[in-house]
Amino acid sequence: MRSIHLKNIGKSIQGHRVINHINLTIPPGKFFALLGPSGCGKTTLLRLIGGFEKVETGQIFLGDEEITHLPINQRRINIVFQNYALFPHLNVFENVAYSLRIKQMDKEVIQERVIRILKAFHIDEHLFKYPSQLSGGQQQRVALARAIINEPDVLLLDEPLAALDFKLREKMLIELIELQDKLKTTFVYVTHDQFEALTVADQMAIMNHHGEIEQIGTPKEIYEFPISSFVAKFVGTTNIFSGRLMENDEERVISIPELGEFKIPHTQKKEWMKPGCDMMISIRPEKIFITKKKVDKFSNVLQGIVQSIVYHGRSTQYNVRLRNGFRLQVFEQNEEHFPQEVFDYDNEVYLYWQKENVVLLEK
Amino acid sequence: MKLFKKELPFSIGAPAIIWQMVFFYVPLFLLTLSSIIKISSQGHFESLTLDHFAALLKPAYAKIIFRSLFLALGNALLCLCLAYPLAYFLAFRGKRFKNILLFLLIVPFWTNFLLHVYAWYYVLEREGFLNNLLMKIGMIHKPLILLNSLFAIVLMMVYYYLPFMVLPIYTSLERFELRLQEASLDLGASWFETFRRVLLPLSWPGVQAGFFLVFIPSFGEFAIPELMGGDKQFFVGSVVSHYILGETTGSLGAAFTVMSCLALLLSAILLYSVMRRLFKKTWNG
Repeated sequence: MRSIHLKNIGKSIQGHRVINHINLTIPPGKFFALLGPSGCGKTTLLRLIGGFEKVETGQIFLGDEEITHLPINQRRINIVFQNYALFPHLNVFENVAYSLRIKQMDKEVIQERVIRILKAFHIDEHLFKYPSQLSGGQQQRVALARAIINEPDVLLLDEPLAALDFKLREKMLIELIELQDKLKTTFVYVTHDQFEALTVADQMAIMNHHGEIEQIGTPKEIYEFPISSFVAKFVGTTNIFSGRLMENDEERVISIPELGEFKIPHTQKKEWMKPGCDMMISIRPEKIFITKKKVDKFSNVLQGIVQSIVYHGRSTQYNVRLRNGFRLQVFEQNEEHFPQEVFDYDNEVYLYWQKENVVLLEK
Repeated sequence: MKLFKKELPFSIGAPAIIWQMVFFYVPLFLLTLSSIIKISSQGHFESLTLDHFAALLKPAYAKIIFRSLFLALGNALLCLCLAYPLAYFLAFRGKRFKNILLFLLIVPFWTNFLLHVYAWYYVLEREGFLNNLLMKIGMIHKPLILLNSLFAIVLMMVYYYLPFMVLPIYTSLERFELRLQEASLDLGASWFETFRRVLLPLSWPGVQAGFFLVFIPSFGEFAIPELMGGDKQFFVGSVVSHYILGETTGSLGAAFTVMSCLALLLSAILLYSVMRRLFKKTWNG
């Protein structure tokens, strides 16, 4: 369990800037997720840490030790590849025993350790099967066992669950969290799936298309207080409005063309916030209350017409058309079998939200 | 469905099987037959005999067979040493030049074999390209005799057979991704260990195929020793052609061919089992 520091890391592949001066500290013993859209360079960043790609500029530290130019096989870092990269000519036992055999450990020690870890992963009955005879989930476990048997300081996971179906993925996520909890190894988990990242991470970083890190924080910080419209849109679903900031002594409002003025919180203070400047706000769909009646305990209200209803099971999504043609998304929890209010297409509705639930974003 | 499974393979394979029968098994049978019959001076069948084989039981003939076996083995090993790195490069480092490089490997086959030989004459002869070059840069002071030597034979053999080794190895390597090598390095293995424990076993079918694709035909190679070796180097191919084409020595030639084939078969089986054992030990050690 050691930390990783990236200092001013830059990397181009075929003349294309993939990683753009990234500074990042991955805390020791934590489950760290690196989230970004496809092609944003997150896998390249992971491969730089693992030593599979040469660093162009900057430095990488494992704990206090600089590993920028250390060969792959001397780093106490192991990786689980996206497609597992199990050796097809070796059976489960031999795959997992690989690194121990390289170290020329005692045969009995190897046997004991491999069996122990395979038991822990519930794949000890498949000892002599070859990778091609295993299911996706079993291959995943073998790859994990092979990577951690050598007790690395850091475990890298490159979209390890991408090939599994949804149910299995949910189960593996929980297993990964428990595994990390038990081992206390630093986990670096790369994914483009916000659900996975939010589920597993103690800390997470969001990468954008320019190979830069937009925001670092706990999943809750990232979700509730995104610092840019990119993060707000990429992590979860949100409604974004553009407008102008207006400020007087008591109140702060945003004036949105055709829709009017809306109250926004005082508490969020940023350098760019100057009276009269253009800005954006983000309101998460689940933070909006939809009703046909008038209510007065909310600070903001909009009117609209229900345009479509998407039933998700645990929640229902309403797409509501506003006066200016904008479509607002609202999620309602389906808490009861027979809710008091039922909405239908073309219903006129009120949309309420509290100003505290609004996030202010720079334009 | 059942009908399909049963009928299709034969009907698809039939032309090839018939071809194989007519052009391979029947001549082989006739050849073997002619090596064990005695023909009277009037050209009639007289009796079955092993005389032709007995006539060949001389050290000189054994020497020719062994010399051919060594040439074939040497050629196969040399090709392997050259082909493996090349195939590796093509499979993993070729990137977008991969297809062009493969194409370049095949291109020489588009010109006639004899033209290759003449091209090499031009390079190797006394006043040829190579001697001139070496003299000019001062490495030698008088021309080397390069043609009509074992060196010229081996050079031409390797030159001609190399693609037969490269292609199967390339195909077997190409199926596996670079990720497997990365995984091996990641698990602490050195480059050598990765080669020994991952690359070699995975490409083993290709190595074996390439080895025998080169070894077997080079044993009977006739044209290359004849053209590049002058008349000094006798190999199986030249002896067979000499006897078979001779007026009265046809049966002797047939017997020699049968004998050589048996020697080849035996040595191929031997080599196969040795290789198997050797490499099983290598990657499971």
